Amino acid sequence: MDSIGKHIKALLIAAAIVSACTERIELKLDESDKKLVVEGFVSTDTTVHRIILTTTTGYYYNGRPPTVSGATVKIMTGAAETILNEVRPGIYETDSTFFGLAGETYTLDIELKQSIGGFSTYSAVTKMGDLVKIDSLTMKYQKDWSENGIWQVFSSFRDPVQLQYYRFMIYINDKLLTDDLGDWFVSDDRFWNGAYVTGTPVAFLDQSEDDEVINEGDTISVELNNIDEDFAWFISDAQAEMRGSNPLFSGPPANVKGNISNGAIGYFAAFTVSRSEIIAGTGKR
Amino acid sequence: MKRCLQTVLVLLIIFPGLISAQVPHEDAEKKITISGYVTDKTTGEHLAGVTVYESRSKSGTVTNENGFFTLTIIQGNYELQFSFIGYAGEKRSGTAQKNFTLNIELIPSDTELGEVVVEARRESEDIRAATMSVVDLDARTIKAVPSLLGEIDLIKVIQLMPGVQPTSEGSSGFSVRGGNADQNLIILDDAVIYNASHLMGFFSVFNNDAVRSVTLYKGDIPASYGGRLSSLLDVEMKEGSSKGLAFNGSVGTVSSKLTLETPVFNENTTLLVAGRRTYADLFLPLAKEEEVRDNRLYFYDLNAKISHKLNDRNRLWFTLYRGRDIFKNDYSSVSFGNDAGALRWNHILSGKMYFNLSLTGSSYSYKLASPDNGSGSFSWVSHVNELGARFDIVHSVSDNHRLKYGVQTAFHRLLPGTITGTGFGSGFTEFRLPGSDALESAVYFSDDFRIGEKITLKYGLRGSLFQNIGAATVYNYDADHRPADSTVYGKGEFYNSYFRVEPRIALTVPAGESSSVKTSYSRTVQYLSLAQNSAAGTPLDIWFTAGRNVKPQVCDQVAAGYFRNINGGKIAISGELYYKSISDLIDFRDHASLFLNQYLDGELRTGKGYSYGIETMVRKDEGRISGWLSYTWARSYRKVSDINSGLRYVSPYDKPHNVNIVLNYEINGRLSASATWVYATGLPVTLPTGKAILSSSVIPVYTSRNSYRMEDYHRLDLSLTLRDREKKGRRFHSEFNLSVYNVYNRHNAWAINFERDADNDNMIYAEKTYLFSIIPALTYSMRFR
Repeated sequence: MDSIGKHIKALLIAAAIVSACTERIELKLDESDKKLVVEGFVSTDTTVHRIILTTTTGYYYNGRPPTVSGATVKIMTGAAETILNEVRPGIYETDSTFFGLAGETYTLDIELKQSIGGFSTYSAVTKMGDLVKIDSLTMKYQKDWSENGIWQVFSSFRDPVQLQYYRFMIYINDKLLTDDLGDWFVSDDRFWNGAYVTGTPVAFLDQSEDDEVINEGDTISVELNNIDEDFAWFISDAQAEMRGSNPLFSGPPANVKGNISNGAIGYFAAFTVSRSEIIAGTGKR
Repeated sequence: MKRCLQTVLVLLIIFPGLISAQVPHEDAEKKITISGYVTDKTTGEHLAGVTVYESRSKSGTVTNENGFFTLTIIQGNYELQFSFIGYAGEKRSGTAQKNFTLNIELIPSDTELGEVVVEARRESEDIRAATMSVVDLDARTIKAVPSLLGEIDLIKVIQLMPGVQPTSEGSSGFSVRGGNADQNLIILDDAVIYNASHLMGFFSVFNNDAVRSVTLYKGDIPASYGGRLSSLLDVEMKEGSSKGLAFNGSVGTVSSKLTLETPVFNENTTLLVAGRRTYADLFLPLAKEEEVRDNRLYFYDLNAKISHKLNDRNRLWFTLYRGRDIFKNDYSSVSFGNDAGALRWNHILSGKMYFNLSLTGSSYSYKLASPDNGSGSFSWVSHVNELGARFDIVHSVSDNHRLKYGVQTAFHRLLPGTITGTGFGSGFTEFRLPGSDALESAVYFSDDFRIGEKITLKYGLRGSLFQNIGAATVYNYDADHRPADSTVYGKGEFYNSYFRVEPRIALTVPAGESSSVKTSYSRTVQYLSLAQNSAAGTPLDIWFTAGRNVKPQVCDQVAAGYFRNINGGKIAISGELYYKSISDLIDFRDHASLFLNQYLDGELRTGKGYSYGIETMVRKDEGRISGWLSYTWARSYRKVSDINSGLRYVSPYDKPHNVNIVLNYEINGRLSASATWVYATGLPVTLPTGKAILSSSVIPVYTSRNSYRMEDYHRLDLSLTLRDREKKGRRFHSEFNLSVYNVYNRHNAWAINFERDADNDNMIYAEKTYLFSIIPALTYSMRFR
């Protein structure tokens, strides 16, 4: 969850596994019952909001996940109710005028045409936190940190006194870099609770990776989402599962707990959005 | 019959004095007491376990851990025999009318590198003693076992004993009879060692050159020890030579070691200093990755022991240990290690009574830091400290009846973590996990005596008291284990306490001339636990205490065994059966957050654990071929709320089948060969039974915990030792040792993971990580005496 821990772990693992090797193996796995998979969120942006419904598959299944069509999907807040349209199989959308409000509670209601895992109705409730505004970004080039160096991106903002959880999403020239759940940078505010945060690192752009290359004049933007605790843990646990396990640091693998009822997998989140931009300079020397 | 026995036992516990009062003084012959020390003539070291026998009175005993014995004989002529494996026997005869002291020096019969041979109490003593589930090892046996990278390691040898398992490949953590690694009390000369691992566990903190003997109690732990559920690993440091300067050293693949022994001023005071340092980092510049080249990566150990004989009645020992691991690269540095010290005083009150007083201090700490002074730089420190004192009296009522009673207390101070920003304009405010103070005290009593000729009964009782001391903020948790509110306690306030009674009892009944049947029951209680939910653990894992939210864990163990010596006691055969049950067992919730979490108590879940098994072993310590062969069948389960949907699951160290073969063959006076073969059922693992795709990521779905197994583990190690030619009066000896780990290069799985295929993102395959291929290592060691 915290970057320090990850940093240290990486170091210790590197130290420990100087001689470790890997080998592909055949491993038979059982198959569990099919479950509904839900993905979607409400944010403060005025735009199309999307809920995606799929199902789980066997672990070795190598196609795209099966979509769930024909469901009735609703997002409710107070007395207001928005029914989403299925625009493509399994993808349900609001119109482009939809937006969420800080402090509001949102309920997601799903009614399936055919039950999955014995249930045909699912719901989730989530509350959006207060807006935390990101003030500014700075960048620093670390020449020695990888073959072609690493651009560090730092953000500054005022951290409220309450316990907060943040997600940082990175865009390069308006293209979302952190498009994979595994890349989301999530942090709590334990180490700077209530303080003005000056330049905490939120991205490490490895110039050896094609999609992370920064050229002079590129626009790098960081989106700060104030997310709730359960969503933060959902992301953190999912990332732990993705990192794989080793006997030194990993606890026993376990299901990632979401907030959808009746045993569905996934998360219905609500968060605020605040962005800041910086134009890459010539700091590379 | 059973009921009668229980009544007798209850009486014995209530009236400890009863026994001595009831044993009648058989005849009119007057009795006298002989007492004294038995030492090694070449080094002056005290020998424990030496058999002392007087033939006319037909009475015998063995020397205690300080080499001290006391024996009651009939007044008049006596003929005393002193015998000990690896030493030439001694006889003394004469006439005595009153009590007297007699100190004996034994000469090693085995001149091989002058290794001190402190053999296990074989012969009839082992068969008759009311102790079971015990493993003894001496420095020489440990040295004969092939080692990883040539680094001789007592914990790796302990892991080859039945009922003991490494927590993961190459780890110094070990599981005793299915228990967790933190359930082992590891003491070095009475001082607790909180983390026995170096370098992520690949090596233990014990430098074999500084170790005299090791005893592991897998159950039936003496009443004088407590605080951990599964085992007691008692490591005794070697004493320096009182007979002149001696040193030994070695140059190996991983580390170099040097040990110096010398008398100080005169032979009443001896000093031993031992040091070890690894130099793995010296090879890092050869690494392929540039990042690895500048890393620092080493550990060191320093051991020192001073033994001082004030007079025949008073002896003092002072032990010091310090070890550190250092990792450093451009971004961070990590250092961790133990400090331990013990001051012990043995005072002989009379030929039949002595006391031991020990004062100990232990600390385990680590520090992580980022060396650059940027805004993100920080330091993170964590400590667990203990100050302890123990006083006990050993009273030999008669040769067949020994009492031990005492008191013990330890003050614990746990400072789990403080993070401070160190750089200019650091973004960090100080983050401090609340520390905790506690007092762990105990009174104990044990009585070991013989009923009639042969039946031996040992029973003991330990009353332990654990007290949490303020200042403290204790959080209260709701039904979902989330912190609700908190209670604040003032400085010095004893705000919570637990008292537990721990009975221990063992009975040995002979079954024929050289065999016996033993049974035992023991209860152990654990107040300090390690917040660790990975199999092998890391140096960063922190200890936490029992308290208002955490009950002490309690383990009850019953065991029964058959022990037989054949071939004149040269070969020992044993079979043991045990059943353990743990209540208030602690495990951690799924995806528990154990680092830097002030709400740690909320991550804990409690339940029950139980394990059972059969351990069989054939062991031969003498002769050209020595070693042991063991087979263990064991199971270990847990049932904990919220984990595995509340259903029973196998514990992380459950390995039903385990075979260990350790053989050492003296080819001739100069050359010896050793082989070890280990087989164990693969460790339990949790593997996915399905997946979901969320934001392009694979989220695994699991059905139950630990329901799969890794492939079975097996490995062969070999070693060959070539010694100098034997010459009379030679003071300098050297030897070469070639050890080969994992001879047939089996890729034993250390971890199993899943990868996405590079060409097809939706395709997943399984991959195992293995740590060691075949690893040869050469060590040169020398000794001057």
